[in-house]
Amino acid sequence: MTRLNSYRELEHLRQRLLEQRQTITTTVMVCGGTGCRTSNSQAVIDAVREELTSQGLDGSVRLCVTGCHGFCEQGPVVIIEPGNIFYCHVTPEDAFEIVYQTVMKGEVIERLLYEDPVSGERFKTEGEIPFYKAQERRILSRNRLVDPCSIEDYIAAGGYSALPIVLNGMTPQNIVNEIKASGLRGRGGGGFPTGRKWAECMETPGDEKYVICNADEGDPGAYMDRCVLEGNPHLVLEGMMVGARAVGASKGYIYVRNEYPLAVKNSRIAVEQARELGLLGNNILGTSFSFDVEIARGGGAFVCGESTALMASIEGKVGEPRPKDVHTVVDGLYHQPTTLNNVETWANVPAIILNGSSWFASEGTKGSKGTKILSLTGRVKNTGLVEVAMGTSIREVVFDIGGGSANGNKIRAVQTGGPSGGCLPLDKFDLAVDFDVLAEAGSMIGSGGMVVMDEETCMVDVAKYFLTFLQDESCGKCLPCRVGIDRMLEIITDITEGRGRMEQLDLLEELGDTISQTALCGLGRTAPNPVLSTLRYFRPEYEAHIKEKRCPAGVCKALITYRIDPDKCTGCGVCLRSCVHGAITGQKKEVHVIDTQLCQKCGVCRSECKFDAVQVV
Amino acid sequence: MLQYVNLNIDGANVRAPRGTNVLDAAIEYGICIPHLCHVPNLSDIGACRLCIVEHVVNGRSEVTASCTLNVEEGMVIRTNTENIRRLRRNLAELLVAQAPNSRAIQDIALRCGVKEVRYPFRNEDCVLCGRCVRVCTEIWQARAIGFVGRGKDRHVDFPFGIRPDFCKQCGNCIQVCPMTIPPCDGPMKPGEEYLCLKCESQLMDETPGSCAWCKLGEGFGCGRYVGV
Repeated sequence: MTRLNSYRELEHLRQRLLEQRQTITTTVMVCGGTGCRTSNSQAVIDAVREELTSQGLDGSVRLCVTGCHGFCEQGPVVIIEPGNIFYCHVTPEDAFEIVYQTVMKGEVIERLLYEDPVSGERFKTEGEIPFYKAQERRILSRNRLVDPCSIEDYIAAGGYSALPIVLNGMTPQNIVNEIKASGLRGRGGGGFPTGRKWAECMETPGDEKYVICNADEGDPGAYMDRCVLEGNPHLVLEGMMVGARAVGASKGYIYVRNEYPLAVKNSRIAVEQARELGLLGNNILGTSFSFDVEIARGGGAFVCGESTALMASIEGKVGEPRPKDVHTVVDGLYHQPTTLNNVETWANVPAIILNGSSWFASEGTKGSKGTKILSLTGRVKNTGLVEVAMGTSIREVVFDIGGGSANGNKIRAVQTGGPSGGCLPLDKFDLAVDFDVLAEAGSMIGSGGMVVMDEETCMVDVAKYFLTFLQDESCGKCLPCRVGIDRMLEIITDITEGRGRMEQLDLLEELGDTISQTALCGLGRTAPNPVLSTLRYFRPEYEAHIKEKRCPAGVCKALITYRIDPDKCTGCGVCLRSCVHGAITGQKKEVHVIDTQLCQKCGVCRSECKFDAVQVV
Repeated sequence: MLQYVNLNIDGANVRAPRGTNVLDAAIEYGICIPHLCHVPNLSDIGACRLCIVEHVVNGRSEVTASCTLNVEEGMVIRTNTENIRRLRRNLAELLVAQAPNSRAIQDIALRCGVKEVRYPFRNEDCVLCGRCVRVCTEIWQARAIGFVGRGKDRHVDFPFGIRPDFCKQCGNCIQVCPMTIPPCDGPMKPGEEYLCLKCESQLMDETPGSCAWCKLGEGFGCGRYVGV
């Protein structure tokens, strides 16, 4: 590829690419995201490619290995354009049929279509599926258009159009004003107004300024940053270029955790391709603007997602936060002004420049504009990545998009925002996905994790899980986080094991409040949220653990016993054979009995019993 | 030439050179803020959080550590509000429950108004204040000890656990360590820890707002003593 020296050359390249693609009649898009790869999409890709070659369709049919489509539960996903035909759970054996029937004859293969688990109805196109219907996919919908490893795809799809605009027509002040007017807020969790951050960084004098893309996503159950970065790395790069132009930065870093090998690989390829085309490097598109990006890999510490710890890690120091009384926009990486934004924030930027701030602000609420990608997991039918307009209620996300409970149990709570967020009960489901609304309710959007819980989830156990995670991931620098979380975990463990006392609940609240006010960094300050929010909304459950020594959800092992209901037991012996501890005795066709002394409460017998005879009391 | 800024701490107008932190400025004027990890002339890491103060910005007060907060013109700081006293007491309670076996820590607990400890005692030897690490790194430029591990595993150690040649055994790390001062009644055995509170008579009021060069300050290595 030749270096582009002006805007015109970029436009010419785009025209040339579009002309080349006019001969293509059909596009087969196979998801190559991490989620689908684990469902063996690589074999599907190979099979489809082989099939296309053997049918001699190389010239007219394009096979596009795309990033994540969001509906990871149904993977591997194949979409065929034109027609927007959506196939799910595709196996390599289906490749022949797809190519022969759908690509060549235009017929739809009924059995590969998505079947609605509620009504049993099959949907032909992506847009008809309820999961997609209720979404507003501004960022994620672009994933399906491009092969993440191909800059040509991105340019042909209209990419890098924002770059000429900011380099040619807009001053840095204009760009910052536009971002400010759009009302974009940081998508990484804090929700800090991006425009204000940029303005402060722009106004601070510095020898060299930096922009950083924070792709160190570590919340349990959240993976939207990974999907955007591995599915459309050029979008993030373009956003960073706009940001660099605005604040006057000449160097950028993408800090991506090494546990995301595909994101590391794709973003590396993207940076190399952009360099080759002269979109990164010195004198970009013939202007005086110079900017380069480097990929920094993180070692997988949760705390390195905190901005100052992340910068310390890039500098080669121990990834520990430092006090932020002086903001990083003034004193950041290598003590220079630094703008750090989340992957999703950067990905939102090019569209704001292209379509204007009023377009962006057309979706959303008063305080939160635009869309937010949520990662919907837990006990719902449809799990995956969901992009909704800010202001959509949690109920819509869980029941309309998520399809409601996965196994018929009653849904009772949703945990938003990962370890920094909180649990909201069913009667708060009308709250909107909005930075301020959720913060007021004691939770937060955070990075966008949304874990749905049903009545078989013990809220005390959930709090314990998150505390264990936070205790493992605390850097240990400051006292309230290191010791405070440890003490909270000690108390919660006491409660789940039946040693709890009522006055410990007040102590938990007071300790949580102390940690949230005094900890050094944002992670410590939000760490008590899971406990505080469950205490606020599910206090009776804590009290049941303490007063009655009973776990209502039947989860906390120390407080439950397994027994076999003699009326239901048929003496089939399945439980007896499944018990690895030898705790079940009984003769064939007679009622079996569990020896509570030997029982380890693993629950295998309960899941094996076909007659629901094993009960938790 | 030193540039001075004016700020307001607890209603008192204070003048301090630019670049100093609020904690040093307050101590200089005899305003007592309890602290543990701060040592004069060493960099501050804000690890113990005992020196928290309220920084009033635009009418909203923000809780932050005073040792890492640099003085600025027109700053308003409150060191002795109800909220700060409560938070400090809770922090000191965590601290003394973790490592009661030191007069310095017991004095801090007393100074911060801890009356009872609601957690089971743990008899740990180190509170990870990082004084030793910074003395070794910054004063002696030896870097013979450092923090190892993360979270619960965090501890102070030699590189790879072996004493390097560049450790001259100067003993400065021991000198600044708050855990080397045994309690007045002698070291506590595991399982027999208690909250001392014997020096209560040393306290001027319930919670003194002004520094009186108290005996407690000497115990916990107050910057006022180490600085002179």
